[in-house]
Amino acid sequence: MSDNMEFKKILVPVAGSPEDEGAMRLACRLAKKDKGKIWAVSVVAVKRALPLDAEIDSEIHQSENVLDRVETVAEEEDCEVETDILQARDAGPAIVDEAVERGADIILMGFSYKRRFGQYSLGHVVPFVLKNSPCPVILYQQ
Amino acid sequence: MPDAHKPGDRVFRPRRIKRFRLRRVLGVPGLFSAGYGDVGSSIYYALGIVAIVALGATPIALAAAGVIYIFNALTYAEGGAMIPEAGGSASFARHGINDLVGFIAGWALMLSYIATMALSAYTIPPYLSHFWPVLNEPAVNTVVSMGIIGFLMLINVLGVRESTGVNIFFIVMDIATQITIVVLGVVLILAVNPGMLVQHMFGQGNWPSTPNLVLGIAIAALCFTGVETVSQLAEETRRPAERIPQAYVLMIVAVLVLFAGISIVALTAMTPQALGDPVNGWARDPVAGIAANLPSQLLRGIFEPLVAVLAASILLTASNAGLLGISRLTFNLSSHKQLPATFGRVHRVFRTPYVAIILFCGIAVLLLVPGITSPGFFTQLGALYVFGSLLCFALAHAAILSLRIRKPETPRPFKLGLNIKFRGADLPLTAILGLLATTGVWIVVIITEPFSRWAGIGWMAGGLIIYFFYRLWRKHPRPPSEEWEVRPEKRK
Repeated sequence: MSDNMEFKKILVPVAGSPEDEGAMRLACRLAKKDKGKIWAVSVVAVKRALPLDAEIDSEIHQSENVLDRVETVAEEEDCEVETDILQARDAGPAIVDEAVERGADIILMGFSYKRRFGQYSLGHVVPFVLKNSPCPVILYQQ
Repeated sequence: MPDAHKPGDRVFRPRRIKRFRLRRVLGVPGLFSAGYGDVGSSIYYALGIVAIVALGATPIALAAAGVIYIFNALTYAEGGAMIPEAGGSASFARHGINDLVGFIAGWALMLSYIATMALSAYTIPPYLSHFWPVLNEPAVNTVVSMGIIGFLMLINVLGVRESTGVNIFFIVMDIATQITIVVLGVVLILAVNPGMLVQHMFGQGNWPSTPNLVLGIAIAALCFTGVETVSQLAEETRRPAERIPQAYVLMIVAVLVLFAGISIVALTAMTPQALGDPVNGWARDPVAGIAANLPSQLLRGIFEPLVAVLAASILLTASNAGLLGISRLTFNLSSHKQLPATFGRVHRVFRTPYVAIILFCGIAVLLLVPGITSPGFFTQLGALYVFGSLLCFALAHAAILSLRIRKPETPRPFKLGLNIKFRGADLPLTAILGLLATTGVWIVVIITEPFSRWAGIGWMAGGLIIYFFYRLWRKHPRPPSEEWEVRPEKRK
């Protein structure tokens, strides 16, 4: 890792997992060091049987609660964060596109320990982001 | 940890002004593959259905329909770029004319989606009969196709993730196979004996009567699938103003080239009677007929199973696309208060519009029941699709013309050329011709096809009853205003 690496624009995708809090604290500390800016996004994945702009209140409320929680964490860290809810068909491409559009210097994602068919699994979002991200990615697992 | 906030400190937390942003990811390849998934699948059944009525004039009927297809695609390119919403013709008509006409377009579109779903599912077993000949039996064919719809219903209610990569793979394979079949057919069949095509088209008993030729052109509107699909995906498209017209132009080229090529090769390889025979011929699986008539044993050995697998997979995708189209459209109509909210109800756990999915799958299964005894029934299903889709296209043309008159200032990122001045408005000639042609063909279908006439009119009447009673119940005098709309300032 080069010494002059700066993280001015940090994208933090959140999904309501317990790791969101730790990821946000880490993002705040990185941002403070470089006087950077943090964007937290929560993606509502809309099934293909519904229009992309379908308003599913329960999902949107859930995302709003998740973002409210990370805003509280950022306040505790004395850090400013901008939050947004994205509606997309799939979370992976939405996160990558958001990083490209905002010119993010880094994506910082929290993810939980999961097992699928008896094997440790990263799910499908994390591998997609790792494969397609335009910038470095930090994964945070407690 | 930072210091706790001191008394009197205020924390400013700006609220999210808009509840959510849409993340659009589709580009021209995504749009084209979705649209071509429908058009490419229609080749697998439209050719046979058209041949049943148009016999040797099948390529002529498809060419005439191709001209109307160009008018439709151009109108949808202007509309889709201008109104990037999920409703397609229903949205154009709602904005361009009024709420009621928007509902009529949407309800007619639902009918065409149901017919597409049933038709695609019905033609899967005949292609798979290459491996299991029993699937060619009308009763078995119908029961299996009902099972396919049941399977699609289940996976869509559960909301199983669709693999876009697999879909694109099948579409690329499909285009490659279709091009290969056309090239092989031209080189090995047509070039060897060009007189055969002339004989099969114009020989004694091969040319249809004039009413049948006109009906053939009308039925050839089956190849119009795909136009609505691209429009439905407008809201998921990044920079729709540029990409939707580009996708339509690509589709026009692909459809015209492949339909012309495949219909000519099919009619050279088979007599029109064999191509249009649903019992002992190839009407239900015309592309398999081309593969079976290739002049080399080796090529037949390669292409017969390949066509069977590809056709089945593409038709399954098309049937699923029809189901997805219906459920999105139902949700769209119910969110604009044109249908009761019950239709668009979303499942608490699966997050899918399960009522619409189960209801319309049930209707599609009912539509297939006559197929148990009548193998030629799928021609009537084709005519029913044409009834619904042509009504949508006619209303889409009318809406685009109306928008030119009523809202001339609204930005049009893609504006059709060849305009005629009418009361100060520029009316595109292609939309006028499209309106006249689709209305004319629709009237022909109503006059000549009793099943689609009564089923179609019954469907529309049922929809209008639901609409009026629902509106009466809601006492909803005005539809909600649209965010996208740019209203011109009132002049003082």
